[in-house]
Amino acid sequence: MEPNLLCFILFTLFGFVLTSFNEHHHNGTRHYNYCVLGAGPAGLQMGFFLSKARRDYIIFERNSGPGSFFNKYPRHRKLISINKIHTGRCNREFNLRHDWNSLLSDKPDLLFKRLSSEFYPPADAFPLYLSMYVRELGLKVQYGVDIGRIRSVQSATGRSYVLTDQHAADYTCSILLVATGLWVPQEVEFAGSDLVEGYESISTNPDDYKGQAVLILGKGNSAFETAQSILGRASRVHMLSSSPVRLAWQTHYVGDLRAVNNELLDTYQLKSLDGLVEAHLEDIFISKQEKSSRRSGVKDAEMRAKLYLGLRKYMQNSDERNGSNASREELQVHHIDNFPLRKPYDRVIRCLGFRFNFSIFDSSACPPHSENAKGRLPGVTAWYEGKNTPGLFLLGTASHSRDYRASAGGFVHGFRYTARAVHRLLEYRYHGNTWPSTRLVTTQLMSWILKRVGEASGPYQMFEMLGDVILLQGFHCEYIEEFLLQALPQFSSLSGHEVSSHGLIVVVMQYGKKKIDYLGRSRAETDWTRAWKSNFLHPVLYYYDSLPTEQDMKMRPRGWPLPRPKAIHHMVEDFLTEWDGPLSHIQPLRRFLEHCVQTDLRAFSAETCFHSALTHRKPPLFCQQGYLNEQGVQHYSQLRRRVYKAGPVPVEQVTAGTSTAANPAFPNYLAPPGASVSSALKLDL
Amino acid sequence: MMFLYFKQQVSPTISLFLVELEKSAEALQDYGVLVGKVSCKKEPVQTYCSEAKQQRSAFLFRGGKEFLSFSLDTVFDVNSIVAEVLFAILRDEVKYVHTDADLLAMEKAAKGKKDIVLGYVRSLGTQEHRSLMETAYVYGSKYQFILITGGPVLKQLGVNESSQQPQVWFLHCRVRSTLMTEVTSERCPVTRMRKALSTLNLHTFLQLLEAPLVSEVYVDPSSVPPPQFPYQLTPQVFLFSHSATEHLDLDTATTLAWRLRGLALLLLVHRQSLAVKTPDKYNAAYRLPEKSSEVKYVTLRSLDNVLELVTKQEKEEQEEEEDDHVDEEEGELDDEVAAAVYKNRDDFQDMGSVTQLTSDNFHTEVAQSSLTVVLFYVKWDAVSMAFLSSFIEVAERLEDSQVDNVQMGVVDCGEWTDLCAAQPGTAVPFQPITAFPSVLLVRPQQSAQHYGGLLTGEALHRFIMISCMDSPVLLSTKEEVSSFLQEVPHPDLASYRPDRALGLFRTESQTGLSVFTEAAKSLRGEILTGLLTDGLVEKWAAEYAVDPPAVLLFHSWRKLTHPSVVPVDSSSQELLAHIYAALLPPVPELTVENLPSLLSMGKALLLLFVGEEEDEIGRRQNQALVDELGGVVEQGGTRMERYLPCCIHLGHTPAAMSVLGSYLGSMPPLPALVVSHLPTGDEVYQYPPKTPILASSVLQWLQSVEDGKESPAGMLGGDSWPAAFEFYDFLKIMDMQDADPSPTEEEEEEAEEVNVQEHLLTKKMPEDRLDINTKFHSEL
Repeated sequence: MEPNLLCFILFTLFGFVLTSFNEHHHNGTRHYNYCVLGAGPAGLQMGFFLSKARRDYIIFERNSGPGSFFNKYPRHRKLISINKIHTGRCNREFNLRHDWNSLLSDKPDLLFKRLSSEFYPPADAFPLYLSMYVRELGLKVQYGVDIGRIRSVQSATGRSYVLTDQHAADYTCSILLVATGLWVPQEVEFAGSDLVEGYESISTNPDDYKGQAVLILGKGNSAFETAQSILGRASRVHMLSSSPVRLAWQTHYVGDLRAVNNELLDTYQLKSLDGLVEAHLEDIFISKQEKSSRRSGVKDAEMRAKLYLGLRKYMQNSDERNGSNASREELQVHHIDNFPLRKPYDRVIRCLGFRFNFSIFDSSACPPHSENAKGRLPGVTAWYEGKNTPGLFLLGTASHSRDYRASAGGFVHGFRYTARAVHRLLEYRYHGNTWPSTRLVTTQLMSWILKRVGEASGPYQMFEMLGDVILLQGFHCEYIEEFLLQALPQFSSLSGHEVSSHGLIVVVMQYGKKKIDYLGRSRAETDWTRAWKSNFLHPVLYYYDSLPTEQDMKMRPRGWPLPRPKAIHHMVEDFLTEWDGPLSHIQPLRRFLEHCVQTDLRAFSAETCFHSALTHRKPPLFCQQGYLNEQGVQHYSQLRRRVYKAGPVPVEQVTAGTSTAANPAFPNYLAPPGASVSSALKLDL
Repeated sequence: MMFLYFKQQVSPTISLFLVELEKSAEALQDYGVLVGKVSCKKEPVQTYCSEAKQQRSAFLFRGGKEFLSFSLDTVFDVNSIVAEVLFAILRDEVKYVHTDADLLAMEKAAKGKKDIVLGYVRSLGTQEHRSLMETAYVYGSKYQFILITGGPVLKQLGVNESSQQPQVWFLHCRVRSTLMTEVTSERCPVTRMRKALSTLNLHTFLQLLEAPLVSEVYVDPSSVPPPQFPYQLTPQVFLFSHSATEHLDLDTATTLAWRLRGLALLLLVHRQSLAVKTPDKYNAAYRLPEKSSEVKYVTLRSLDNVLELVTKQEKEEQEEEEDDHVDEEEGELDDEVAAAVYKNRDDFQDMGSVTQLTSDNFHTEVAQSSLTVVLFYVKWDAVSMAFLSSFIEVAERLEDSQVDNVQMGVVDCGEWTDLCAAQPGTAVPFQPITAFPSVLLVRPQQSAQHYGGLLTGEALHRFIMISCMDSPVLLSTKEEVSSFLQEVPHPDLASYRPDRALGLFRTESQTGLSVFTEAAKSLRGEILTGLLTDGLVEKWAAEYAVDPPAVLLFHSWRKLTHPSVVPVDSSSQELLAHIYAALLPPVPELTVENLPSLLSMGKALLLLFVGEEEDEIGRRQNQALVDELGGVVEQGGTRMERYLPCCIHLGHTPAAMSVLGSYLGSMPPLPALVVSHLPTGDEVYQYPPKTPILASSVLQWLQSVEDGKESPAGMLGGDSWPAAFEFYDFLKIMDMQDADPSPTEEEEEEAEEVNVQEHLLTKKMPEDRLDINTKFHSEL
């Protein structure tokens, strides 16, 4: 608590100093408390939270409108993020589970569906949506500011970041939120790589590929999207990358190949003329063979040179020979007569995705390269602060290194929630506002958990990354939504909530880790006692008696989002993703919670409570929080009788002559004991 | 024969007995027993009236002499009186067996002479015991009756001793059946009565066993009349006989008839008769009682099928009866509320009488009605669902009684999550709902009022009806005042007497008026409040000798002429506290509904348990006891402040019956005075049962309880309620499974790598093996 408090005071002072700085344009530079770099979905999402909290912020955007990436990409102009409008439900939180394009806001109708009703919407709709988002929320975006250099300066008041734009104007920011996305095309160097066209510049007119043999480097969604668009024109389409195709519906990772783009798999497996091959791109070379035509003349210009692919180990001299002709001996077919890629190509297209632009960062402010994703992403802490760059956070796709190939943090429907989490920790770190939480009486906890697992979108999209934390405090508990699971060891210092000796429960949505036949017979588990073998997304509850340490986190079992807990509970997967079966879901959950809070959590009728309140010092918790709070439940036998007999309710039996003191009609008019079911229930109004 | 009780003094228990005694008179008359009570005041009969202990007994006289005396513990209601008296009369005729050997001896003795009726009841004095005795009285000369209440013999009869179900068996000892194999054994063939034990069923059963085993008819089954009295409730089974196989058919029919004994009547139809029209493809027919007297024709393969036909109907009946018991299926749910809701899960809830409120219509709906009662619920919460049906019933009741200024609405918080969370932008007049169910009373332009009462339809209905009245009601004429004081807000509440608070203010600007109106607002639904200003105030002030501003409280438990006076305080909080304190009767009656508020006072409970009174005398006696307890408060003064004296009326609050039992370990005679919830400990003390309850002696007793001189009669249970059921330890099970050798992911990965497609040979980088995440390239 002590250091937190100190931190808080320090930052409040710091904030104060900054605000006073802002008022005068010190040294000709503008000062902002928060600078957001990039007006894409992540930057705007953060902008909304900052604006809602009335923070001093600015969003810098080098283009003239928001989301400019989407003006160009995806090249074939169809988004593969689903826009499911008809869910059959009115629950807005639940519906966000199936709306992958909208950003979060407090306007219930500020949703993407206003701009497109297509399930896979056109890409042009997205910048339009973002413009609408900026306009309706009145976000402060400064367009046309192209930040070319970022450095950090250390001063007496702390660290700040200085941004320099194309006009050499400086902006000083105490907190820098980088949401620049990934837009630099990823390239691989190999001999002949200059003969390759890039996804960013290829023609999207299928007719330009008529009759051509095309080799596509890459097997991701952009590669398949390209293949799909030329399938009907090209003579053959081959796809080459180091790893076999990973299907999103098998890996549950939306960055892997989506079924919407996978037509080529069909033509390959049905032995049309297309195919997939694996090789490390670093191991290949491409060479151009000019047609050694005797009739060189007008036609040559139209006739493209053929491109041959070979393996580097057969290349004769490994010095730079980009673009030059390879000798016959160097070509693969010379050595292996059934080499799959022995026929020449008319085009080779590179579709390898994008990487983060590190170039604008001065060494004093540069986040390191991530250890995963081939170093294409910046490395960040579990709470998305750049490693070695305090006060600089990464948002959006650029922050994906934490859950690369695992969850949805690189995609709009995932990072809109991580942005919220980052904002909450900023609010605590710099303004002393603890994370929002809901105070519940312990007997209401189960209902609340069922509500969250039934509707919550954040933990559902950001499975295994975001989870609800429940701080047990005996009679009450605090429910904190969507905490960053990987930062659980730092929970108290990031959220401002203390963990009591009663311990904590973390609710996580998880997929099964076993590789199975995803369409096979035994793919789903229905027996709740085997819930831990569930393969599809299902809620898992972890109970800890104290906060896990960083060491625990590092040593966590392989494939687990969290360290080994004191007790664990899997709620069995459900075909309808509705976890409310009394026998399969609710009762096992209640028994688990009873184990965690060490008391009976069952509901009792008023009569049962009456009996136990009179015969015990204290009745069971439900009676204390329900009945003794004057919220007793009808006895179940009456309940049943009432349901069977649909008629007027018999008038209460009251003895005649109610003038005696033994009148049963004694009003319940004393203030409820404890008087606090939850502060929210006391409607003082 | 005469069954007499000598009435000396009447306590609640005695008056209870007297009522039952009266009821039994009629029943026992049929058996030639006269029932009467002797008032000792008028007829001081020697010995029976002089001794106090005779009060606890009733007596059976034969020929003017005492035949037997019964303790009132054994003859407590009409069933036990009839059962015990008849049992006494028949005590030489109704035998008792304990072991199977006893039974065998009885069978041997009865062989060839009498059939035996063997009845098993769990305890004496029950309805079943009475039925058996009544039957024994009628059939005693015809059959040998045996009554058992347990013992090893039950095993022989195939009864699990833990079964509570009373049963009757008929032992065929008289008949010499040539067909039964049992004839060779020494045991008599047994027929079990399948229906529940009642006098009527037992009569029917015995008569059915008298019916001929097989009747032979020469007409078509459809022409056979349905069974006549007393067999009208018995199914008929028809088998068909051909002249060629006549003897064989009769044997078959008799064999089947034995199996159907006590269940159905068997008729053998001779096909050779021209009147029989049944097509040959059918070999059997049956007619079930009640359903329709139509005969159904069937083709059966085995005799078992016939049994199934007949018993199927039995089962259906039994299922209906057993419906009230907890069945196996819901036994899996260990939560009584959840189990009840689960059991009713297929019942259709007609939501027609409630408005479904949503984020979209909430504001318009609420604006349309002067009062909207809103239930916030979630479907997975059993308490919510249990209350939802009560809520709908209240809505229907309001609809039926044409209360049209109240709208009943429900919000499904599983669907309208933003409305229930009172999210910004919704601008609802309430705070986020965090507990389910919650009930709010919403009025246009006002903040919502939280309903804090019991979650029963009755309590909610009352609260709503009282809430319908303005709070406070503005009164200006004499008529208005008297109607405020005497009329109930709605005929539906006729049986309920609310408390009333009347504020007296000289002018509308007199200080304290706003305090009173604020207090009245929070009292809305609980009590009626009225406000009288100007004109009539002086008259009222003079009548009750108060100086306005003041509040007059008219108690539901006291006459209107005796209101208590509460001064108007500086804050509504204080005023409320004063009103609450003044409304509390000196000795409140403790009920399921008000225990929470009484317990919250944190005082030790001085509990007077009284039984249900049947007449004015009993009521007066109970009232006298309550008054005596009031006297304890008065005499005790400040000493009594730490006690809350209250009475529990077991008639009004049957749930309290078991409380007394838990305190003392057994049911003491009523009235019983007990002190519990002492601040000093968990002991429960009982006031000496035989001592009359007098204010002074109660005070003395309390003193000696405080001094530790009394020994406790029982203890309160603790306050820890550990989970009643073990949780399913997934961690343990996962550990166990992990110990099993199974292919790990790594091996699988390797397998994949070997399968490199199309034989494209490339080197793998060594670091690829380290981390799957970095191994594969993908784009974003």
